[in-house]
Formats: sequence, structure tokens, C-alpha cells
Amino acid sequence: MSKSAADTHSKPTQPAQKKSFLGSLFGHQESGLVLVIILIGIGLTLFGMLNPVESKTPVDRSADSLVLLLDAQGVVHEPGTIARTKIATYRVQNGDTHTDYSAAQISKYDSTTGVLYAKHMLNPFLNKSNLVLVAKDASFFAIIAVGMTGVIILAGIDLSVGSIYGLCAIIGAMALQKMSPDTSWMVAVPVALIVCMTVGTLCGLANGAMSVGLGVHPFVITLGMMAILRGLTVVIPQEFFGTQSIGGFPTSFTTGFFKAEFFGVYPVPVIIMILCGIVGWFVLSKTVFGRRVFAIGGNEVAAKYAGIPVGKVKILVYTITGAMCGLSACAYLGYYGAAETNAGNAYELQVIAATVIGGASLMGGRGTVIGAVLGAIIIQLINNTLIIFEVDTSYNQIVMGAAIIIAVVIDQTKQRIQARRA
Amino acid sequence: MSEPTSPNLIATNISQRFGHTQALEDVSVSFMPGEVHALMGENGAGKSTLGKVLAGLHAQNTGTVVINGRELIPGSLDDAFHAGIRIVHQELAQCPNLSVAENLCLHDMPKKGFTVDFAEMERRAAKLVHQLDPSIDVTKPLGYLSPGRRQICQIAASLDRDDKGNMIAKVIVFDEPTSSLSISEASVLMDITRDLAKQGLTIIYVSHRMSEIFTCCDRVTILRDGKFVATNVVSEIDEPTLVEQMIGRKIETLESRNNGSNHSVETRALKAELGGDHPAPDHTVAPRLTIRSVNSPGKLVDCSLDLYPGEVLGIGGLVGAGRSELFDAIFNIDTRAKGSITVDGQEILGKGIRAAIDAGVGLGYVPEDRRIQGLFFNLGIDENIIAPIMHKIAGFGGLRRRKEELSTVEKRIARFLIKTASLSNTTPGELSGGNQQKLLIARWMTQKTKVLLLDEPTRGIDVGTKSEIYKLIREAADEGLSILLVSSEMPELLALSDRILVMGDGEIKGELTGDEMTQINILTLATSEEKHVTI
Repeated sequence: MSKSAADTHSKPTQPAQKKSFLGSLFGHQESGLVLVIILIGIGLTLFGMLNPVESKTPVDRSADSLVLLLDAQGVVHEPGTIARTKIATYRVQNGDTHTDYSAAQISKYDSTTGVLYAKHMLNPFLNKSNLVLVAKDASFFAIIAVGMTGVIILAGIDLSVGSIYGLCAIIGAMALQKMSPDTSWMVAVPVALIVCMTVGTLCGLANGAMSVGLGVHPFVITLGMMAILRGLTVVIPQEFFGTQSIGGFPTSFTTGFFKAEFFGVYPVPVIIMILCGIVGWFVLSKTVFGRRVFAIGGNEVAAKYAGIPVGKVKILVYTITGAMCGLSACAYLGYYGAAETNAGNAYELQVIAATVIGGASLMGGRGTVIGAVLGAIIIQLINNTLIIFEVDTSYNQIVMGAAIIIAVVIDQTKQRIQARRA
Repeated sequence: MSEPTSPNLIATNISQRFGHTQALEDVSVSFMPGEVHALMGENGAGKSTLGKVLAGLHAQNTGTVVINGRELIPGSLDDAFHAGIRIVHQELAQCPNLSVAENLCLHDMPKKGFTVDFAEMERRAAKLVHQLDPSIDVTKPLGYLSPGRRQICQIAASLDRDDKGNMIAKVIVFDEPTSSLSISEASVLMDITRDLAKQGLTIIYVSHRMSEIFTCCDRVTILRDGKFVATNVVSEIDEPTLVEQMIGRKIETLESRNNGSNHSVETRALKAELGGDHPAPDHTVAPRLTIRSVNSPGKLVDCSLDLYPGEVLGIGGLVGAGRSELFDAIFNIDTRAKGSITVDGQEILGKGIRAAIDAGVGLGYVPEDRRIQGLFFNLGIDENIIAPIMHKIAGFGGLRRRKEELSTVEKRIARFLIKTASLSNTTPGELSGGNQQKLLIARWMTQKTKVLLLDEPTRGIDVGTKSEIYKLIREAADEGLSILLVSSEMPELLALSDRILVMGDGEIKGELTGDEMTQINILTLATSEEKHVTI
């Protein structure tokens, strides 16, 4: 009421105020998340600098070179004839040339295999493999969170994502197991993707069609589907294989693709996560479909009156979420090389947590895909923190639960402050 | 008019700021016991804010409220309550799922051990409600009652009495109590208001319905832009003067041009402002919209009408007469409607909402409740306007074309004079009610729209924007757009319409043309053959 007074009377149309660079940077939901990630990262890096861990890597040497053990006087000893404490120098003799390593540089010499391990002091957080590991662990549920963001923006919910993921993994694994071990990746990867994503798409379609068609709240439908699909995930391998785990995939699918090594790390799931994030952001902000999702989430009745096909959009969003579960399950199969019947157990919690930490409102109408991906990374960083602090992993759930509540409270406070300023 | 006594409630130098908005500035008013004192003004004039300050809902920045010599703690609802001030809200702030009795006793449920004493609760509630309407069943869920009765229940909640049977409340603030009521419901409410004043209560009546002021108020205080303008004794003032005080300028009334002397001053003024009488639309051409025997279970009975190109066809009637229901049927929102609805000969009934909007049919619908049925508060102004046609502007794969979108939006905003700070960064929540409403009309103003359904297009918006909207409606009709107009504002309906159909009980009761179009005729038709007058 009071606001309209200013609007209707005499106030000319004003251009939008230009925000400062910092203002616009921190005005965004995502920037707050990036800030949190940076702060956790700095904290862990500092902690890691004070408490480095030892790591060993094989010394690179040619196959016909010899390792000589020298004591403090420069006398050469046979392996096994001298105590470790007495060795002063490890000498790698290659024909006429040799390289010397002081005992402090060497972590271990395995005399039976002849492998010499160099010693490094590593920052337990800030190193390539740990960082990729964190991102990789986040990626499996972050990919699903991309779809879940759409569902949450619609003011819906999908509790069945973990079960869809599990079922996709099991059925995908059955298909992969049928292939010969030397199948080319050009066959194995597309087939596995199609199988996993078809299963996921059908499950998502069932969720959407039932909640829209029967007019039942998606909480109920997806709760039911969660149990049904998990049951199928357990029953199917039991009936066909009598096992809880299906493995033995073509290597072109695992180490050849989803667990391909680049620069000593395995980044493929992370790359998929980043691509999904970008595509998801694009679809939600740059396409009509995406904007309709926001419109429906903001005001479903108004969307109907504006001629937006509410039912169709809703069904499509659930279907896409199912397909994302399939994609994620396929990456999981390739990375771990086997499917367990409990794959994706309680994943719905992590996925919803990532979405909500990422700034999506369960009331609908608000949320971002990039935020959800960052939210997933934050969850995994918290996990990593506990590992680095050597806290028992059982404490994970307690910390994650607290993180969700804190994130939402901060977000709502921020919203309230912004609303008051406007 | 009550006897001149000393005021029992005095507000002195009240100022109230919300962010950048000065809602009230140095306002002083005093209220007498036994009077109905109206607070009037355009939307945003500060009348509701003043009411809320008096009831302790807002803490004023400066100034004092004194009741019977005692100064109230600013912003303390509790203090105001104990001093005997009650407020009846504009929105029906109740729990529709609970019974009337539970709603009335929510703050203090009688207990029997650990359980609620339902018998005692119902007895207490009945005592309150039956002062006003003995026919209300307090055990029924509140949501089953008509809006008028729900409003009565809310008023009844403030009528608690002490052990000796004296009314505890001294002052009741009515914040636009009739805004969601039909005409007959409102008149019952006004009778109640007068009655309460007779019992010695001070009634503060916040409203912008002119007729109510003259029917039931003793004095009226006008506010404009948060400032005090004047306090008038109602019997000594006329409508044009009040309007002048409210908007701060004279409305030119062309008395000579009116042909229906039975029209009210307001209607005549409106007609004059819209350029006098318009030539009647050509009824010899084929009708644009034809409705034949449309029925919908429990909502519509055998409705038929023709709407011609360039015609504004008004639909009068009381709330609940089936007017919005008719619109829902035309727009295919009511999926149970049967019959025939054609636009330019093309059948649309039962083909879905998109079929009505698309396929060269060109139907647009501005629904009754802009907050619930119209706006997306999480999206920008631009997306709110182009929501129905976004997919048409978009390229392959639904990829948006921002430039085209923005140029379309800019054109509409310019035509509709929508005041907004930015196109995509401003959300509808930051606009005034009038601009929100203009936005919704602009949404449907495409080249292709042939028929526009307008349901209460000026509800709850200020006088200035109202007249802008009237001009836009008239302009659009003159350009050939066919408009169906539902309105409970009589002057608006009478001034804008070329013809008027009156509905009641889901039926079309009759048609009024030319000089027959008067408030009395509409009300007579609307209430004819009614088995019982429900409030």
C-alpha cells in the first residue's frame, strides 16, 4: 500500500541503479557459495600446510638400471644386508651414469619388486588428486541435483532419485556384463548411456505423469516410487544372478572412458558434472521451457491463466530428472566398474541438500543449477574436512544436517534483508 | 450523527516511514465515541497505514495515539487490545479449515483437563456471532461460509463483553471490510456498522467506496500522499468535493452531455472523461464471440450471448452470480463446461486453454485476482508480460530471443504507461496495484487478440490509474477489440459498456441497452427470482 504511493505519484521512471562490481558479484546467490568454498579451501590449505602428510611415488628409472645401497662411508651393500637406518644414499646405477638420492628423499625400497619410492611431503587438501577426488565424489549427486533444481523450482520434490539411480545402475550393469571384455568404447559407452538413461527417463516420466495425471502431491508419488524402485533394484539381480553386485565390464568402458586417466587423475565424472551444470543453467535461463518452470513455480494458477501448459512442463521436468539419474548412474558404473544393489541409497537427501544449499526455495519459484552444483561441492568439502581432520566419518551426517539448516537460515535472512531494502 | 461529545481517541502528529516511502506525514485526527468515521484516500494515501497505527500493528516513527486520556505504546498490539481497540482486516485472515468456533477462540481455547472443551467453545462463539447473525452455525468449517458471513465472524470476534455484559471494545478499525463482498453482503455489513456505532463504539471505516461513505459514515477524513487533507461531516459534503480532496484536482463534469439523468454523478463524470457517448457497435456484422447454451454443473445454466467486433459488453451481477465462472468456461479453464463457444465461427470449447489463445482465435483473459491468478512474483516485468507468447518469439528449440522479447515488452509498457524501474530486474511485487493491473492487461494486447475477458479490471486500485485503464479499454474497443467486462463497480460498468448483461445464479437474467442501463435496473435484474438473499 505504502509502496504504491511512491509509484503512482509523480515518480518518473528511473533507470536501474548500477551496482558496483563487488556489489553485483556478491549480490548473486552463487557468489556466496563460491565464497564459502574459498573459505573452506583456505582453511584446509592452511591446516594442511601445518600438518603435511607423507606420500610416496615410484622413482622413474629405466628397467635395466640397478639400485645400490650406500652407507655413510660410501660402501655398497646388498639389499637386505643393511638396516634402513644405516643407509645414507640410494644410488640408481644406469650403465656408467648414476643418480644419488639421500635417505631422507626416499620413502621405501622394495627389494623384491625392485621399486624405489621417493618421499614427498604433501598438503593433504591442496593436491591434485584430493581436489579431483572431492569434485568426483560430488559429481555423481551433483548431476542429479541439476535435474532436482527444476523440480524444486516447480515447488515439487522427487524423493525417488536415489532409487532411480540404483535401478539404472543395476540394469546398465546387466547390459554391460553381456558385452565381450574387448568391446570398443564407441559401442559400450553409447549403449550403456542409452540403457541407463532410458530406464531413468521412464521412471521420471512415471513420477511426473502420476503426480500430474492423478493430481497427487509429488511427495507421495515419489515416496512410493522410492520404495518400489529400490525393491526392483534388489530383486532383479537376485532373480537373475543371485548376487548383490554386478561387475565385469569392458575395460574400454571403465578405464578407457569413465575412469580414463589424465595427468594422474580421473576427471571424467567431474567434466560431465560441469557440462551438465552449464547445460542446465542454459536451459533454465535461456529457453522458454526454463522460464515456464520458474513461472509455474512462482504462481501455478497464474501460469494456467497465462496459457502455459502446466502439466506438460511438470511431467517434462520429472522426466529430465529421471534421465539425469540415468546419466549419473552410467558414470558411476564406468568409474567403479561394478553396480551394487545399494547404489544411491539415501542419495535423495544429498541431492535435495545440494539444491537447497545452492539457494533453491522449497516453496518454489527460486533456484539455480550452478548453485546446486556448488552446493554439492560444499557438501563434499565438508566431508573432506572431516577426513583431513581425521574425524570419524560417522560424524558426517551430523555435520551435513547442520550445514543444510545453517545454509537455509542464512539464505532466508539474506532474502529478508533484501526485501526490506527494496 | 452522534451527539457532539469529546473525542475518545486522538492521534496526534503521526508520521510513519517504510524504507523510502513516507506513508504518513504529521497526521492528526480525533475520533468521537458513537461515530462511524471514514478514512478515505486513493491507494497509497496512507489510510490503511493510519488504521494499523491506531490498532498497534505498526509502530509510528513519531506522534502519539491517546485513548481516553491514556497514551498507547507505539506498535504494541497488546496494549491497543487491552485499551479496547480492535481491527477487522481487509483480507479474511482466518483458518478456513477450522470451525467458526475454533476461529473465534483461537487465541484462548477453553480447556477441560488436557482437551479442548468444545461445548464451552461453541457456546462462547455462538454468543459472539449471534449478536450479528443468529443463523450462522458455529460448528461449520469457516471455509464453507460466504465471504460476507466470514467477514461478520471476524467482526464478531471483536465484540467480546465483560461479566456485566458491557462491550469491552471501544474502537473498531474496519480496514476495507467490503472489498471482497458483494453488494448485498456489503449493505448488511453497513447496517451492522451503524448498529455498533449506536451502541457507543467508535468505528473507523477505511474504505475507498464512495457510496459506503454516504450510506453509513458520520464524518470522513481524507488523506492524500500520507498527508491530512480535511475532516468533513458527511451530511455537509458532496461526492465531487470529496473526490477533489482525494485526488487534489477538479474532475470536469459535463452535466449537459449526459442523456441518462438517472446516472450518478460518478458515472456521468466517467462517461464525460471517456469522451461522452460512443456510437453503438455495428450489430449487423457477424458476431465475434458466440456463446450458445453453455452449462457447467453447479456453476452455469444455459448461458448464451453474442459479442460484436469493437463492443464492450458489460456483465453485471452480484458476487457469486457466475460471472467469473462464465469467463473460466470461455477460456477453457472450466473443463466440465458443455455447449458451444465460437470465435469467428471456430469452436473452442473443450479444446484447451492454448486453443483459445492460439490458432487465430486470440482470446485474452485478465482474471479477477491479480495476485493469485495473474502475476509471477518471482519473475521480472518483461517475463510477466510475454508469458503467453514467449514460445512464439523464441527460436529453434525454445531458445529465447531476448532482443525481440524486450522490444515487444517496451512497446507495451510505453502504450500502457506502466511505471517500472527496470524491465527484467523489477518484479511485480515492487509495482503499485494499478501498475500490476495494467501489466496484466498489457499481457494480452497482442496484434492477434480479438476478444479480451476483463474480470474486475480496476479492483483495489487508485482513482488516477483507474481512469487510465478506462481510457485504454475504450481505445482498444474503438480499434476493434471485443471486450467482455465483469465489474462490481457500477459507475465503471455503466460508463464503459455498450450493452450490459446481468447474471444471477449462473444464468443470464437479462440484457440492458441504452437508457435502460442504470444501477437500479442492474440490481433489480440481478436479484430477481432469487429464492433467498444470502449474505
